[in-house]
Amino acid sequence: MYGRKGFKLISELDLYSDILPFNVGCMIEALIKEVLQEMQSLYDANVANSNAIRNDNNMALLPSVQLRHIALKRNKRCILAYIYNRMRKLKELRWELGSILPPEINTNLINAEVQWFQSYNKSLAKYMRSLGEDHGFNLTTNMVPPKTLYVEVKCVEDFGKLELDDGQVILLKKNTYHLLPRSVCEPLIRQGILEHKKYVSMEFPSYEQETQTIQLRSIKSDD
Amino acid sequence: MFVENLERGFYRLVKHDRCLLLVNFDVDAICACKILQLLFKYDNMMYTLVPVQGVQDMVRAFEENCEEVKNVIFINCGGTLDLVELLQPAESVIFYILDSHRPYDLCNIYSEDQVRILGKPDEDDEIPEYNDVFRDDDSSDENETDEESASDRSQTKRRRLNEEDIVKRAGRREWSEKRATILFNYTQYSYYGKSSAMIIFEMAWSMTKDNLDMIWWAIIGSTEQAILGKVESRLSVLEEGFLQAHVSRLTHKKGAEVDKQQQQQSAVKITYDKDLLLVLYRHWTVEDSLRHSVPTAVSLRLWSLRGEQRLKGLLADMGLPLAQSKQRFSAMDLALRQEFKQMVEKLAGKYKVDTIIGTSFTLQYGYKFKYCASDIVYAMLALIESSSKTKLPQGCFLDALDCLSRTKKDILESGIEKAKLMLKTVFKTAQTILQLKEIRNTGSFLYIIIPEGSAGNFIFAHPYPLMMLAQFTLKAYVDSSKNRRAPELPLVASAVYNAEERICIMIGIPPVCEDQPRSLFGRAFEQAAKNTNSYIDADYFDSTIIRLKIEERPKFLDALASLLA
Amino acid sequence: MACCQSYIPDYFAITDILSTEERISCKIEVELPGLGFLDSSCQSENLKVGTKVEFPLWLAEPLKNLQNSVVSVDIPKIYKEGYRQILEADAEVIVLSKWNPFYYELGMHVRKLSDRDYEIITESLLQTFKSRFQLVMDWSQNAMSDPTLSIQLPRLERDLFLIGQQAKIRLVEWLKMGTNELVVSEITTNLKKRKREQYEFD
Repeated sequence: MYGRKGFKLISELDLYSDILPFNVGCMIEALIKEVLQEMQSLYDANVANSNAIRNDNNMALLPSVQLRHIALKRNKRCILAYIYNRMRKLKELRWELGSILPPEINTNLINAEVQWFQSYNKSLAKYMRSLGEDHGFNLTTNMVPPKTLYVEVKCVEDFGKLELDDGQVILLKKNTYHLLPRSVCEPLIRQGILEHKKYVSMEFPSYEQETQTIQLRSIKSDD
Repeated sequence: MFVENLERGFYRLVKHDRCLLLVNFDVDAICACKILQLLFKYDNMMYTLVPVQGVQDMVRAFEENCEEVKNVIFINCGGTLDLVELLQPAESVIFYILDSHRPYDLCNIYSEDQVRILGKPDEDDEIPEYNDVFRDDDSSDENETDEESASDRSQTKRRRLNEEDIVKRAGRREWSEKRATILFNYTQYSYYGKSSAMIIFEMAWSMTKDNLDMIWWAIIGSTEQAILGKVESRLSVLEEGFLQAHVSRLTHKKGAEVDKQQQQQSAVKITYDKDLLLVLYRHWTVEDSLRHSVPTAVSLRLWSLRGEQRLKGLLADMGLPLAQSKQRFSAMDLALRQEFKQMVEKLAGKYKVDTIIGTSFTLQYGYKFKYCASDIVYAMLALIESSSKTKLPQGCFLDALDCLSRTKKDILESGIEKAKLMLKTVFKTAQTILQLKEIRNTGSFLYIIIPEGSAGNFIFAHPYPLMMLAQFTLKAYVDSSKNRRAPELPLVASAVYNAEERICIMIGIPPVCEDQPRSLFGRAFEQAAKNTNSYIDADYFDSTIIRLKIEERPKFLDALASLLA
Repeated sequence: MACCQSYIPDYFAITDILSTEERISCKIEVELPGLGFLDSSCQSENLKVGTKVEFPLWLAEPLKNLQNSVVSVDIPKIYKEGYRQILEADAEVIVLSKWNPFYYELGMHVRKLSDRDYEIITESLLQTFKSRFQLVMDWSQNAMSDPTLSIQLPRLERDLFLIGQQAKIRLVEWLKMGTNELVVSEITTNLKKRKREQYEFD
């Protein structure tokens, strides 16, 4: 049956929803090649058949041409969807992890994708520079509305030196604890180098008790 | 120099720059640090916190992080060391020391600007006068002459020794002899001062930035000192009263805003009440708790076979069914749970365990969260000492720090489980030692050596479990020994620290009779090492804890015995 | 950041591509020269009229919709009267993902194949979803629910279930601690997990 390989391609995508093994073991590349081959043979057969229709007016061939054409379109859809969905994930990565991709992901990309990512980076940076007064405006920070300018963080991985906006240098070593500007920490927290620690004041009763009180009340009302 | 007004002399000065916090591995330090962290957070002050386990750790942490840091705060570390000498800081760097270890190093005390000790000197500290220890006028020129005499004898020979000179020299000799005695007296004993958490809390209070969380942490800090016998019991009692006043003030302040009764139930509450001083009893079984609490274990002599019968007897007298006593306290019958306190109180006199009746602070919020201060102290101690091959000590430190946040109940619970394990091991080991009569008496002190290799003993590579073991064994020994001098004897305990490198850890604790827990082992260890020419690693901030090679241990103990005789 | 999809299912939608791979039994109405190999039991070169074949939906649907239909189709049995009645009786007890992991998506395509049952199938899909939605909601709001539950659900419900569960967790977090805790990116967590697995594997 036609379209099998294309389907396999998409199932791969569906299976590993978060990583991008493009040229891992060359399997995907081979798969794509096979899909393209199938498309080529479909096309060849259709060219031959449509020539026959035109020349011999053999209309009996038409349904087969139509069938092959549908299969051709299906294959095209699979391949485009594969590429498109990977691109979309790359775009998400830019917002999640910043402009530099971790090596684990980078090795999974093909050249064209790397180039696309770079140009996406460039246009995003250009756009962000055009915002705000003079310094531009970083859209990727404060994805959650901030409550404080500074956050308490625990360093969970050796990172090395970090330079703050005002030029201070801080050594981020595993198992140290810091209070730092939120904007600096946010990308590092996303990358799993820092861990955000939150302080909850005693002055506010917590949810746990609230629900317990509610439960207690409902028990009482049952009586 | 001492800084007595912490707000003006410390907090306002550090407010504008990023500071570096170096914190020792102990509960009091963690509590103090937690309060400070919260204050810093309120004021958006950037800081870097590095847990430091020993002197080497501290030096490394300072060197790594000193770049562009103007203020360094030492919590429960560094006070007993000459920090300027040790760390060689840039001139602009200022050290703030908040340390409960005593005695302070004199160079820190008399540093004019660079080193500032937070808090005021205790009367008991008996700090020598400046002039008795330092001599500004000609100390430098004395050095010069010394050097000269060493390097160039012929020159000195040529110099005429006139009478004046001789008098001066005699005076100087006299002075330096006097100096040595004064220094000896000053540094002879190592002991602990006021809890650092309390000092910081008082600062927060004076700035009216205190809240219930902070007082709770201060309570935990001072409870740790009481539990580990770091300070006189008289002082702890005074401190408790002081804390209680703060608790009721803060509770009252909060209560004014909350009027509905329902809300009061769910709100956070700290209560100060009569309580049984049994370890972790709310989270353990009654039987286990009785067995692992030092006062009951000592009075009932639970390490012996007869002791076990006495424990059963006590339970029977209380009218507590055995099945119930083996259940988790929280799962016991409600009626028994409510009566438990009275039952124990009634029998305390009969079984000579009056000391377990006392008072304690309890934090409660919601229906599930109820811990008393000592529960948390034990949990934190166990967490601090839970480092292993896969878990760095610094990670354990941060766990213990997290344990203070109310939202991290899971960490606290795991800490309590670890604490149970620790207490069990301490008890079992002590039992073996007592049953086999492995406590050696040198005449001037007692010592125990924890045998290598048995399971669970690895926890004694950490100072706190070892200290608990030593205290328990000493009390048990004193209570059961016929030796009338027993209460006057201090105890040294030693266990393997690193089996591969053949290193052991050794701690010394003061005798039972001494109400003021001052230990002379700090200096004694130093001297014994000098006498035997053995290398000891006094990396801990508490000088009564050292590490040395296992093969040198017998020689070292002999030297110690002759020194203290 | 999710890309907004202007219409659903869009051209690139993975679920749509996956669901349209479902085999539909068709009967050939017009002879297809040179395509005999599409029917494995067929020996001849051409696909003869009247042959029964299993075509994927993406092929069957356009072929049927040609001006003069090349094939006539038989809708899958799970959308037929008998199965519809089962669903009507009690939709909640059925492990719908066993019928088809893309039950709803496929249904939306299948209904177009049958002029007669178009409305009935639509109605049945809607009713099924409505009656099962409570169950899905219930499961997702129950933090303790079994993680294997989601396997029993067809894709649409599973996605809703997971979203619901996430929302519930976030709500509880918010009520407990207030909002805006910064968290590790999901991508990073997954990467780390993968690394650890690899490490253990090695």
